Amino acid sequence: MNLSMLKCGEKGKITKIGAIGPLKRRLMDMGVLVGEEVKMEKVAPLGDPIEVIIKNYKLSLRKKEAEEIQLEAIK
Amino acid sequence: MSTMTEERLQGSSRAALRAEKKAITVGVAGNPNSGKSTIINAIAGTRLHVGNWPGVTVEKKSAIFEYGGRKIRIVDLPGTYSLSPYTQEEIIARDYLIHEKPDVILNVVDATNLERNLYLTVQVMELGIPTVVALNIYDEAEKRGHTINRRVMEDMLGVKVIPTVATKKIGLDDLLKSLLEVAENPSAHCPKHLNYGDDIESAAKMLETQIGLTPLAEKYPPRWLAFKLMEGDSQVSGEIKPDDSGLSVSKAVGHLKTAHDSDIESIMADARYAQAFGLTREVLQKTESGNIELTERIDRIVLNRVLGIPIFLAAMWFVFKLTFDVSKPFADWMSAMTAGPFKGWAEAILGLIRAPGWTVSLVTDGVMAGVGSVLVFVPVIFAMMFFITFLEGSGYMARAAFVMDRAMHTIGLHGKSFIPMLLGFGCNVPAIYATRTLENPKDKALTALLVPLMSCGARLPVYVVFIGAFFSAHAGTVLWSLYVMGIVLAIIVGICFKKTLFKGEAPMFIMELPPYRRPSFKSLMIHTWEKGKHFLIKAGTYILAVSILIWFLLNLPWGVENKKDSYLGKVGQIIAPVLEPIGFGNWEAASSLISGVIAKEIVVGTMGEIYVAKPEDEKKNPSTFSEDLKEVGTSFVHAAEDSAANVFSTVGISSLSSKEDEKRAGLKAVIQKTYTPLSAYAFVAFVLLYMPCVVVAIAMRQEFGTWKWFGIAFVYQMTLAWGVAFLIYHGGKLLGIGG
Repeated sequence: MNLSMLKCGEKGKITKIGAIGPLKRRLMDMGVLVGEEVKMEKVAPLGDPIEVIIKNYKLSLRKKEAEEIQLEAIK
Repeated sequence: MSTMTEERLQGSSRAALRAEKKAITVGVAGNPNSGKSTIINAIAGTRLHVGNWPGVTVEKKSAIFEYGGRKIRIVDLPGTYSLSPYTQEEIIARDYLIHEKPDVILNVVDATNLERNLYLTVQVMELGIPTVVALNIYDEAEKRGHTINRRVMEDMLGVKVIPTVATKKIGLDDLLKSLLEVAENPSAHCPKHLNYGDDIESAAKMLETQIGLTPLAEKYPPRWLAFKLMEGDSQVSGEIKPDDSGLSVSKAVGHLKTAHDSDIESIMADARYAQAFGLTREVLQKTESGNIELTERIDRIVLNRVLGIPIFLAAMWFVFKLTFDVSKPFADWMSAMTAGPFKGWAEAILGLIRAPGWTVSLVTDGVMAGVGSVLVFVPVIFAMMFFITFLEGSGYMARAAFVMDRAMHTIGLHGKSFIPMLLGFGCNVPAIYATRTLENPKDKALTALLVPLMSCGARLPVYVVFIGAFFSAHAGTVLWSLYVMGIVLAIIVGICFKKTLFKGEAPMFIMELPPYRRPSFKSLMIHTWEKGKHFLIKAGTYILAVSILIWFLLNLPWGVENKKDSYLGKVGQIIAPVLEPIGFGNWEAASSLISGVIAKEIVVGTMGEIYVAKPEDEKKNPSTFSEDLKEVGTSFVHAAEDSAANVFSTVGISSLSSKEDEKRAGLKAVIQKTYTPLSAYAFVAFVLLYMPCVVVAIAMRQEFGTWKWFGIAFVYQMTLAWGVAFLIYHGGKLLGIGG
């Protein structure tokens, strides 16, 4: 599954970042790394973008970008 | 004697030179929202100079001041999360650090978000430049129950670490002292080499040795260069062409790649984050406080799925109303003063020296009217800058982008584009300046191109006259239709541009939602002031030049009775045939449209002058100088009162002025004879869409550092205006309405 599929309040552990080039580097620079825990926090009123918590801070990204981030759900 | 003076002069200039050389350069690096600007504002205050980085539109703040007998030059680098080569900000920051080589790097770290901030610190340390770390927002970190062991951190990093609270000016003295200390003894404060693990280190070592044998070692910090080459950094590889320098990069990273089964960029990012994580684990102690943070509580409301948009719209309504209502009385005051007492004084002075009539007209109608038209923008620019800075500083701007992004993204824009577009309805000029909140150049350019389609306040007087003449029964509907036309066309044009001019990958939307903070009043004021000053000087010059040019067009050859014989009239006659197919091919319309280039409302003024004989100047009792002076003062006080009152009565909509002077009534009568309802509607549509006014052009030039975007706006808007007016005129004729 990928990050965009999480429901609010659900958590996951990143297994793979599918993006390449600048998008991948940008995600990594923002702390989106393999092995990192990420929590879906909010979805914008119009359904996109989303807000997640990673490394103790709030990060927003579009669903299309979140689809590149593979993870396994944490119960 | 003279040789002595000369010698002394030379001596003193040499001393000055030496003093100049001794100035310590401090480059300030840090994450966005780490309080970098607040630190610099607190240290430098009014000595701060705001400009742009050469060739780009990113803001550059710097200041020179003295501390402890030393001159310090402090340069604020754009806020970045990393030093990769992907965003404009990152490229500027690292180019500065590598090529300008500051004496000291001041790395500002948000103490409440240590790990992610240290990721940048780790990269800064790779440069090997003496560094001081400021643990900023330390009070908030303490309030959250975080303790940071500063000594351990200093040991691990090898550089000084100073806790600061810039908003309360805590720790700044320590910070400055440390900067001096480090500059005096740089070798003792060089950051340690952090160990990135055997595989990376051995590959780096190999490259470093090779680099050491080339002249590159003088130009770049070897360790940093080795890392960049390993990562395949596009910018660095482009600059030095590693193969030409005899560096065998692929050989060095070969083992690393196979051992980790990943790309080097990811391996490096992991290694750096591992350092940041390790450091944080060693120095940070958290005692979890159970209470929910303020940011969390605010976000639950303002990002709520139901309330989010209404709250956002309400906030925008207030920003819009406050920007224009607070500034309007001052703008009115300024234009009344330049048209009244100031003009009177100028006339009096010119009368005293018996200046010829044309000089008086040039000074009062050309120069002073030009100055007036610059001044009326100043209050609104100040107000807009104030509110935009406030929105950004408080943290709400990111939320606004979050809430609106979905809607704006459909036309290729960014969530943050909404605010400039909205301001455009008041005045396109501050709207163009407001595009600076957009970081990505693509987003910024597209937003600026679409802003002029938002029908600004200056177009309203034109609509009012024409609607009054032809559509008074449906005034509201017709007026509404023009605003909607602008928005609909912006959507269509936006989609077209997205598919052509801005083809390719859409800029990303990966953005931190920073904690809410109260922006410091001082920062707000400094920022607002610097921007306003900038506008006044830079834009002012251009506007003045253009309004003098228009004066020449309108009044030369001197003494023309009929406006048709003025240069403006003549140019109008040349252009008129182009307007023929869209329903108003007469020189009067053409000339008015040309003069509307200064500001669209002038279309009405020029039409009045052309169509209606100049009414006799009201016989005013000549006022004395002291009366004038009193008038200037009291009316300013009234303006300030009105402005203050408007803050409280912001909910009311200022109605269209129903006051109508005789001249305007006369103008309407003439218009009714020369236009049909159809050509009148085509005309107002044309006014809505044709080229942006000069001030917008200048704002675009200033914001982008090139005329390119204005050029594009000019071409597409002229085409669009003509096309739409043609469709209205001929479509209407075909359908048999209003012809």
